[in-house]
Amino acid sequence: MRLTRPLLLLVLVWGALLGIAGPASAHVDAPRVVRVGTEGTYPPFTYRDPDTNELTGFDIEVMRAVGEEAGWDVQFVEAPFDSLFPALDSGRIDVIANQVTINAEREARYLFSTPYTYSHGVIVTAKDNDDITTLADLEGRTTAQTASSNWAQVARDAGADVKYVQDFGPGVELLVQGRVDAIVNDNIAVLDYLATSGNDQVKIAGDAGDETLEQALTFRKTDPDLRDEADEALAALTKDGTLAKISEKYFGADVTVKGGSQDVDVKGSDSRTRWEVLADTAPKMLRGLVQGTIPLTIASFLVGLALAVLAALARLSSIRPLDWVARTYISIIRGTPLLVQLFLVFYGLGQVGIKLDPYVAAILALSLNVGGYAAEVVRASILSVPRGQYEAATVIGMEYWQSMRRIVLPQAARIAVPPLSNTLLSLIKDTSLVSLILVPELFHEANIAAALSTEYLPLYALAALFYWVVCYLVTLGQAPLERRLSRYVA
Amino acid sequence: MNALIEVQGLEKSFGDQLVLRDVDFTATAGTVTVLLGPSGSGKTTVLRSLNVLETPDSGLVRISDASIDFGVPPTDKAARHRAVKALRARSGMVFQSHNLFPHKTVLGNLIEGPVQVQGRDPEEAVAAARELLDKVGLAGREDAYPSQLSGGQQQRVGIARALALTPEVLLLDEPTSALDPELVGEVLAVIRDLAAENWTLVIVTHEVRFARDVAEQVLFLDGGVVAERGGAEVLTDPREERTQRFLKRVLDAG
Repeated sequence: MRLTRPLLLLVLVWGALLGIAGPASAHVDAPRVVRVGTEGTYPPFTYRDPDTNELTGFDIEVMRAVGEEAGWDVQFVEAPFDSLFPALDSGRIDVIANQVTINAEREARYLFSTPYTYSHGVIVTAKDNDDITTLADLEGRTTAQTASSNWAQVARDAGADVKYVQDFGPGVELLVQGRVDAIVNDNIAVLDYLATSGNDQVKIAGDAGDETLEQALTFRKTDPDLRDEADEALAALTKDGTLAKISEKYFGADVTVKGGSQDVDVKGSDSRTRWEVLADTAPKMLRGLVQGTIPLTIASFLVGLALAVLAALARLSSIRPLDWVARTYISIIRGTPLLVQLFLVFYGLGQVGIKLDPYVAAILALSLNVGGYAAEVVRASILSVPRGQYEAATVIGMEYWQSMRRIVLPQAARIAVPPLSNTLLSLIKDTSLVSLILVPELFHEANIAAALSTEYLPLYALAALFYWVVCYLVTLGQAPLERRLSRYVA
Repeated sequence: MNALIEVQGLEKSFGDQLVLRDVDFTATAGTVTVLLGPSGSGKTTVLRSLNVLETPDSGLVRISDASIDFGVPPTDKAARHRAVKALRARSGMVFQSHNLFPHKTVLGNLIEGPVQVQGRDPEEAVAAARELLDKVGLAGREDAYPSQLSGGQQQRVGIARALALTPEVLLLDEPTSALDPELVGEVLAVIRDLAAENWTLVIVTHEVRFARDVAEQVLFLDGGVVAERGGAEVLTDPREERTQRFLKRVLDAG
C-alpha cells in the first residue's frame, strides 16, 4: 500500500496530463450514486466518532436515512464548510448535508429540500462580558464566523465587523483570547461545544433574534429530480417517526419540527481526555502523513522539477514565443497565492467540465507551483555552467538534448540543490492546504480531531511536530546529496 | 596532392565590426599549420570557423569530404544541421582553457564522445582511451577528476579527448596560453609528438620558437586578413613589416 500509492499517483498524473479520461461512470441497474458533501468537523451534526472514527452525527444519520428511503448509494465527501458550495457548483458533490440554513441569497442559487432542522441562533460571548445580550448590541462589535455561513450574514446585518474563521471552535478560541467580542451560531452547535469542551470561559449571552431558522439539504438548480426524491423520502421519514427518533438521540428533543430547538439537551460529542485525544489522533496523523503528505510531496516535486527544467530551457531558448510562454507561466505562479491556484484547478476547472480527481488536482496545482518557483533556480544554475562546456559538448558532436542531459544539467544540479531543497521544504508544508480541495492528509486529520475535541493547542503542536520531523529528515539528506554531487570539485 | 583542408573567401563580422575578410588557405594531410597574429586579428575566429563554433557570413569551408558554402543561404535547416555535424565530425578541438567535463573522470571525458556520440563499444572505447592516456603521459590517472590534475595534465587530457574521436584534423586554440610557464613544455612536447606522427594540425599559438620547429605552413593574420603566409621562414625571416614588428614584440616578451 505504501509503495503502490505514490506509483498510482504518478500514473494518475500522467494519465491526466496525457488527457486520458477517467473511467466513465457505470450506472446500469446499480443504485444511483449520490455524493454528499459534509464538514465532518461540526459536532453533533457531522463529525467522526472518536471511538470508531466513523463519520456520524445528526445530519449524517438523516442523510443515510434519506438515501435508504430514496434508494440511493450515498457516498460522503468531507470538506471545510467554505469548500462545500464550490464543490456543489463544480459537480464534485450532488448535495450538501451540513445544517445549511435557507436564506434568500442561497435560494436564488440552489434548490432546498423540505427543512429537517428548525433552529434558532444564539450569541456567544466571553463569560465576563455583560454588554452584549441581543443582536442590536453587535453593532460596531467584532464577531468570528465561517465565511459562507448564514450566521455570518446575520452578524453582518446586525452591523458587526465579521472576522472569518474555518470552524466554530477556532472562533471560540478568538473569543476566549479577547480578539473578538462575540460569535453568532446555531444553539445546538454551541451547546454541543460547551458540553464537549467543558469550556467555562464563554457563555450563551442571548438569542440571536426570535426568528426560527430552517436547515435543509442543498442541491444544484439543475437537479430538481434529486431534490424531489429527497423531499419524498423526508416526508416518509417524518411520517414514520424516523426523523424524530434521530433527533431525540442527539438532542433529547425533536428539532425536526418548529420550536423543537428551544429545549434541547446536548451531551457533547467527545468525552475523551486530552491524552486520549492525542493518542487517538497521532496514528491518524501518521497515516495522513504516509498516505497523503509524503506521496503528494514526492509526486508534486518530481513533476514540478520536470516542469521547472522545461520552463528554464524555454526561458533560455532563442525561440521567442517559448521564452514568452515560460515568462508568463513563472510570473503567474509566483504572482498568485497557492491556495488560489488550488481552488482554480479544482473548483474552477470543475465548473467548466474538467473534473480532476482531488489527488490529481492537488498534484497538478502543487507541481505547477513548484515548477514556477524552481524554474528560475534551474535557469540560474544552468547559466552558471561555463559556456566552454557547451562548446566542448558541441565539438564532440553532441546534440542539444544530449549535451543538456549529460554535460550541463549534472553540473547545474550541484548548484541547484541548496535552493531546491528550500523549495522542497516549502512544498512539504504547502501540502497542508490540500485538505481544502478534499484531499485527506496530515493537517486534515489534526483539524478533524481539533473540531471534535477542541484540543487546539496540543493537536496543532503535534501536527507541527510531524512536519518539523519530516523537514528535518529532508535537511539531513541534503548534505550527503551535496557531497555526492560535488565529489568532483577539488 | 589534394588538400585535406580548404578555406575560401571566409568573411565574418560581429555587428558592423569586420573580423575576417577574404581568408583563403589550404592544408595538406599530415602538415602543421600555424595561425598567428596580434590579439583581435581574427586567428581564433578562423580556427572556430573550421568546426562552425563561429558561423561565417560567407565563404567555403571543407575538411576531407565534408564542406559547407556559407555564402549560400541554407534552404533546409535540417540539411544544414547535418552538414555542420558532418564537418565537425572531421575535426577535434583543444581549447585554451581545456573545457574538460569537471563532473566526469579523465576516462569519462575520453569515452564520452566515442560512446555517446559515435556509439562505439564502451570496452573498446576504454581500451583506446587508455592507449591515448599513455601517449600523453597520463597512464594511471584514469580515475582522477580534472580538478585533481595540474594545468598541464588537464590540457594533455584535453588533447587526448580530442584524439579519442579519431578526427582527421586536430584544431588547437592557444593550447598553452592559460598555463603557468613551467607547465607549457609538457604540453608542447605532446603536440610535437603528434606533428612527428603526421597528424594534420591547425594551431593558434603565440609560442613562436615552438612554431618554427613544427610549422609547415604559417599564416600571419592582422586586422582580419592574411597579412603574410608561407613556410616556417615567415617566423624567422618575415617580409612584411607588421609581421616583423609582431614577432619582435612576442619574442622580446618571451
